Amino acid sequence: MDTHEHIVKSYEEELSSLNNKIAKMGGLAEQVVGQSIDALDGRDPDLAGITIQQDEVIDELEKEIEEQAVVMIARRQPMAYDLRQIMAALRISTDLERIGDLGKNIAKRALAVVGEQQPKQLMLGLKHMGELALGQLKEVLDAYIERDADRALKVWYKDEEIDAMYNSLFRELLTYMMEDPRNIGLCTHLLFGAKNIERIGDHATNIAETVFFLVHGSAITDQRPKGDHTSSTPVPMRSAS
Amino acid sequence: MNLAIQTNVKERTETPAEGLEEKIVVRHLNFYYGEFRALADNNVNLYANKVTAFIGPSGCGKSTLLRVLNRIYDLYPNQRAEGEVLLDGENILKPTQDVNLLRAKVGMVFQKPTPFPMTIYENIAFGLRLYEQLPKSELDGRVEDALRRGALWDEVKDKLGASGLSLSGGQQQRLCIARTVAIRPEVILLDEPCSALDPISTAKIEELIDVLKREYTIAIVTHNMQQAARTSDYTAFMYLGELVEFSDTTQIFTNPKLEKTQDYITGRFG
Amino acid sequence: MVSPGTNARYSRRRASNLMATVLSIAAAFFGLAWLASILTVLVVKGVGGLTLAVFTEMTPPPGGAGGLLNPIVGSLILTGLAVLFGTPLGILAGTYMAEYGRYSKLTMVVRFINDILLSAPSIVIGLFVYELMVARMGHFSAWAGAVALAILVIPVVVRTTEDMLLLVPNTLREASAALGVPQWLVIRDVAYRAARAGITTGILLAVARITGETAPLLFTALNNQFFSWNLNGPMSSLPVVIFQFALSPYEDWQQLAWTGALLITAAVLGLSILARMLASKKVLT
Repeated sequence: MDTHEHIVKSYEEELSSLNNKIAKMGGLAEQVVGQSIDALDGRDPDLAGITIQQDEVIDELEKEIEEQAVVMIARRQPMAYDLRQIMAALRISTDLERIGDLGKNIAKRALAVVGEQQPKQLMLGLKHMGELALGQLKEVLDAYIERDADRALKVWYKDEEIDAMYNSLFRELLTYMMEDPRNIGLCTHLLFGAKNIERIGDHATNIAETVFFLVHGSAITDQRPKGDHTSSTPVPMRSAS
Repeated sequence: MNLAIQTNVKERTETPAEGLEEKIVVRHLNFYYGEFRALADNNVNLYANKVTAFIGPSGCGKSTLLRVLNRIYDLYPNQRAEGEVLLDGENILKPTQDVNLLRAKVGMVFQKPTPFPMTIYENIAFGLRLYEQLPKSELDGRVEDALRRGALWDEVKDKLGASGLSLSGGQQQRLCIARTVAIRPEVILLDEPCSALDPISTAKIEELIDVLKREYTIAIVTHNMQQAARTSDYTAFMYLGELVEFSDTTQIFTNPKLEKTQDYITGRFG
Repeated sequence: MVSPGTNARYSRRRASNLMATVLSIAAAFFGLAWLASILTVLVVKGVGGLTLAVFTEMTPPPGGAGGLLNPIVGSLILTGLAVLFGTPLGILAGTYMAEYGRYSKLTMVVRFINDILLSAPSIVIGLFVYELMVARMGHFSAWAGAVALAILVIPVVVRTTEDMLLLVPNTLREASAALGVPQWLVIRDVAYRAARAGITTGILLAVARITGETAPLLFTALNNQFFSWNLNGPMSSLPVVIFQFALSPYEDWQQLAWTGALLITAAVLGLSILARMLASKKVLT
């Protein structure tokens, strides 16, 4: 997008540093999300513990980015594209921090269900959803690095799939819980885990919107496809026993 | 200079939005210093009661363009303008135009504060006496009015008999602005009015511009982009005598259409 | 890093600096010494004859007692008339050159001729006016004398007026033009006002110049032993009287000549000081 560099080199360096911090934060977020899903699936308490700690680094980075952005705005009075870059960095860091927290929560859920028997079908669905979310995250971060608004737009539309998956998982978990009350504990944790994954997908969509704004200077005009219908899903009737 | 890939403002691209009146319309303006063409086919509108800023690197022609609007270049031989500049529909470049009457309608404030070698009172009254026969009491009132509009009254009301040159730089510039508005022009041209001033005087004058635009149409040339961003409603970016992009200020400074404009305002000119 | 004190180049520089300073001070003193000695001689020789009679009595015949009344009054009249004739012409010409015709060829020509006139030998001008007026009129007159002096005044006033007006920054003119002020008013109310002190200085300097001019008066106003108001006849003036009395063998005439010289010098000195005071007032604005 910028074929020329700033005449003042330090400005250019500061923008690069901001960019790199986002990239680093993004990499860490990917790691946290990936690990937390593995932990949940593999019932691996150690992996979960490491993941929870990694979230702290993400939080630190968010603070750094926020500070640097504020200083740059005060000192440089950025205009046009530079301004959008700094605003984008602020927003994306917030979304990445939330993704980190969600990943941490998933890891906590993993710790909670250690030792429990886990139904293969459910875990498959959950893992698939997790991979989808992770893929979105990776894709949108690449879009940010490349400043590719079209890639970001694709991520934005694809969120529908995650929402669809979440809907079906929700119904499955309900059915499971109704079949056997002893499953309620496990299923509740898995439900929260699934919700967290769905939220990760939404944050990836936020990042996609920010990338689009960064590149084009205007917001996406389409309506965001809201696929999460669970709030209006009726509770299936108990089958006569 | 290859500008072929970019859209120069060759035609009047901006149709006035709702409620916008075109006060000055510049059409196909070319300006020459001797054989050298300083302005090339400029087209731009100044809307009534709005502030239009002209920005661009040194030598881009922004001051030259401003000086066409009140034909102050007429004072010098070897400088000529071709094209049309319409003030309320009348072409002011035509040879039959009365330049003094034009300059009474289109006032100008210069980069260097230039109080006349007279008292503060006389500085204001000088222009007034030219156009109106006023009894002393009314003249006093007009002088006070002008000084109030120039945000200077409180500071000088007790020393109207002091020389205009005894004021500080910022005060002198406000005196020049007061002097200009005293004769009730319709358009005010400001040629880098704050470049010789300290930040506080600059802020006072920016506040003044905000107030003045309710009654006047204002054009300001500035090399300080932040000032253009702060004070203007519309901004025109000029480069090497051409008017490269003209749009409302928010657009220019958040998302300009042309890369050249963006390079300039972000400090990327290579 | 070599300390400056031990550097040979540095001490050579200091030495030549010292020498240049000493030489310039010496030169200044040399010039001032001459001036001082002239003034001393004038004062010593002239003060002796400075009595009230000098200002009240006419020039005496040799051996008699008298004063310098008619030459003093004559000089005042001639100088006054010369300034009256020469100043307006000079100012207007200078105004044209600086304001209306600043870039025109005519101005270049006029400036060139003016510079020549500035240093024209005054005796030549006297002869010119003799031919023009005295020969035609058939007699010497104060009018002719005034005209000759005026011709000496004009170039000085033209030069200073043009220079002072050129010093007025163009931004000031533009500022008043931007109000819609017509050009003649810009000149009268802004340019003249700004250049006022400088132009006045120019006039004073012109007066100082013609105060001591003798040669042109010799051919035009000649001299008059008696006190006269008649502008159509010869009029006496201090420089001519000094010329006459100083060359004479009579002591009282010589004394009057010294006194007259002192008076002229005092007048020129006074005018120069006044001019300088005005010029410094301009600096404050």
